[in-house]
Amino acid sequence: MGKTSYNWSEIAQNPKYLELKRKKRVFLFGWWIVASVYYFSLPLLSGYFPELFKIKLIGVINFGYLFILSQFLVAIFVAMYYTKVANRDFDRLTDELVREIQ
Amino acid sequence: MFTKILSTLMLTLLLTTVGIAAEPSKSSPQAGVAASSSAPVQVQAGTVAAPAPVAANPAPISGVPTKVKPNRAITISMFMTIIGITLCVVIWAARSTKSAADFYTAGGGITGLQNGWAIAGDYMSAASFLGMSGLISLYGIDGFMYAVGPMFSFIAILLVIAEPCRNAGKFTLGDILSFRTAPKPVRAVAAVSTVTVSLFYLIAQMVGAGKLMQVLLDIPYRVSVIGVGVLMVGYVVFGGMKATTWVQIIKAGLLMSGTVLLAFLVIAKSGFNPVGFFTDIVGNPLIQDHVRMNVLKDALPKPGFDYGQRFMEPGLFLKNPLDQVSLGIAWALGAAGLPHILMRFFTVPSAKEARKSIVIALFINSTFFFLINIIGFGAALYLSPQLISSVDKGGNMATLLLAQLLGGGAGSLGGDMFLAFICAVAFATILAVVSGLVLAASAAIAHDVYVNIVMDGKADQHTQVKVARITSLFVGLAAIVMGLAAEKENVVALVALAFAVAASGNFPAVMLSLFWKRFNTAGVICALLVGTISALTLVVISPVMTYPQKIADDAKKIVSTLEKKQLEGVVLADKDQKLLEKSRKDFEKNNGGTSMVGLKAPIFPLKNPGIVSVPLGLIAAILGALLFRDRRAEEMFDEVEVRQITGLGISKASDH
Repeated sequence: MGKTSYNWSEIAQNPKYLELKRKKRVFLFGWWIVASVYYFSLPLLSGYFPELFKIKLIGVINFGYLFILSQFLVAIFVAMYYTKVANRDFDRLTDELVREIQ
Repeated sequence: MFTKILSTLMLTLLLTTVGIAAEPSKSSPQAGVAASSSAPVQVQAGTVAAPAPVAANPAPISGVPTKVKPNRAITISMFMTIIGITLCVVIWAARSTKSAADFYTAGGGITGLQNGWAIAGDYMSAASFLGMSGLISLYGIDGFMYAVGPMFSFIAILLVIAEPCRNAGKFTLGDILSFRTAPKPVRAVAAVSTVTVSLFYLIAQMVGAGKLMQVLLDIPYRVSVIGVGVLMVGYVVFGGMKATTWVQIIKAGLLMSGTVLLAFLVIAKSGFNPVGFFTDIVGNPLIQDHVRMNVLKDALPKPGFDYGQRFMEPGLFLKNPLDQVSLGIAWALGAAGLPHILMRFFTVPSAKEARKSIVIALFINSTFFFLINIIGFGAALYLSPQLISSVDKGGNMATLLLAQLLGGGAGSLGGDMFLAFICAVAFATILAVVSGLVLAASAAIAHDVYVNIVMDGKADQHTQVKVARITSLFVGLAAIVMGLAAEKENVVALVALAFAVAASGNFPAVMLSLFWKRFNTAGVICALLVGTISALTLVVISPVMTYPQKIADDAKKIVSTLEKKQLEGVVLADKDQKLLEKSRKDFEKNNGGTSMVGLKAPIFPLKNPGIVSVPLGLIAAILGALLFRDRRAEEMFDEVEVRQITGLGISKASDH
């Protein structure tokens, strides 16, 4: 495979690495949980509180329809926000770390 | 040269196939759908009389034998154009496919943008394009709710799967899982899992393709399955990942143009007024009648009940909240464990590009499923649910009928052209999805089993590519044979099964490999075995399977209702008489029969096993890892973690 071998356990103790790891974990798992809670609230609310979905908000368009639409917007928001944070923070930290090691 | 000869051979074979298919063309293209609004209203009369069982079951809608009739000449020439373009792509890709990395990952030389379109092309199936809009057109908002799952799939992939996998993997699921475990047993189990999941999915697609072509173009089932099979084998064997990627990109482009155009025409027809559009739906007498009589089965209208508004409220199709949550789990985690999706991350050079590709795929997907909602509601309003269900009970023809209508109507040049285009889009969609699946399954066999288990990783590039090509050929042949054998089978269960197995076995195994230090060989094997077996068992004993006894019972109900009517002295209408005869036959044929595993009725109450099988797979993975501790796996965790977080030591095209 012709590549330099790294001392993995040494890198694993590097403070920059630990910072990157912590930041990524908190952000990624945090947003994954938030997005999943929002996502599973759709079948739960529609199944157990159908009356809520029937409330008309704009003309005949009800809460249910808008809530489904909001699922799309939330997913797109999470994707865009993650892209922004990853480009701004994670990629920069990773680059700094890799430069320090090599 | 070898490539050229074989591609010519394939083209000839294909042309012959199409030639045979074109033979029984006696139906005049003019005999279009009876789109007059009076026809469907009469159809319902028979529906009310018969106590149709559940909405999803063969509702006895008889009457006018409506059918979608595309213009064969225009449609087949569009098919041939697609085949021609993709074959050029294959010939171009075949030239640059020399190493194993070229074959499996296009040498890692796909950009994030291209890969995003390819992932979308790999993921959006004909079932979503045709089926989901049909569901919306028949059951309103529940169909739209159904579309949220496949859209949300990409969140888990984006946040926790794509980048770590890209950093820590190489070609296959087996590569990710065997990193710090005993490679041979893990690769073997991973290969079995990959082949199982991919074949389930593949057979469902092949059967769907065969049936679609049969309905649309009168091409015999066998001919279309073989035709699609020959094409997909050709794409993969000669062009490997590069050809597959471009077929998927072309397909995604076609699918999105068709969808955008259709949705735009619906919006334009509604006068660019969404509130007015939905007000028209709620106020539409045909939709109101459909909801009252066909869905809710209220023979007499309940006073003061707004049946039109009911179309906009949940619970017409999705009735069991637990089943919905279970399905939701399969969507949320399953896609992230599908081997043919995982494999796509390795085609880009870095984690950053992998991230970009998932974001693009998520955008395309969300747009697609949003537009499908407009198309579905548009079909309900402009075609009527009665017409749609008279053509196909499941509503699968809604998109096609709508295209024909908005293009100018049946028999008009515009209508024929647009319908032919949408048929061609569906065809391209099937081709793209099956090719990705064949590639994933053959990568598991050739790379994991042959190269890494049989040959101990000692095979030169030439041999690796040769073995990969031969494997693809056999996987494709196996898929064709199984597709032919499964003609009469209920294949809906197979897709659900593929997602459930991926969510219950592959997903926990991949996640824990990447994020849990104590995870090891025993953990991987337990996760894959328990996840796969529990998902499989639960589906086999679930209501998704066909239960002849239930069909017999339902038929008996119809028979007794109609006989009672006859006894009362009512002379049955022609179609009721036919229904009576059919139901008697159904009863005789199915009474006392049992499902595939010998059951009279389902044991597991839910259609989707995820809510039980995912926790089982996860618990098995954790217990397995804790029971059989492995120091080496724990010591190697630092390496896995540093690799997946930083991308150091990433597998590049030039590395192997």
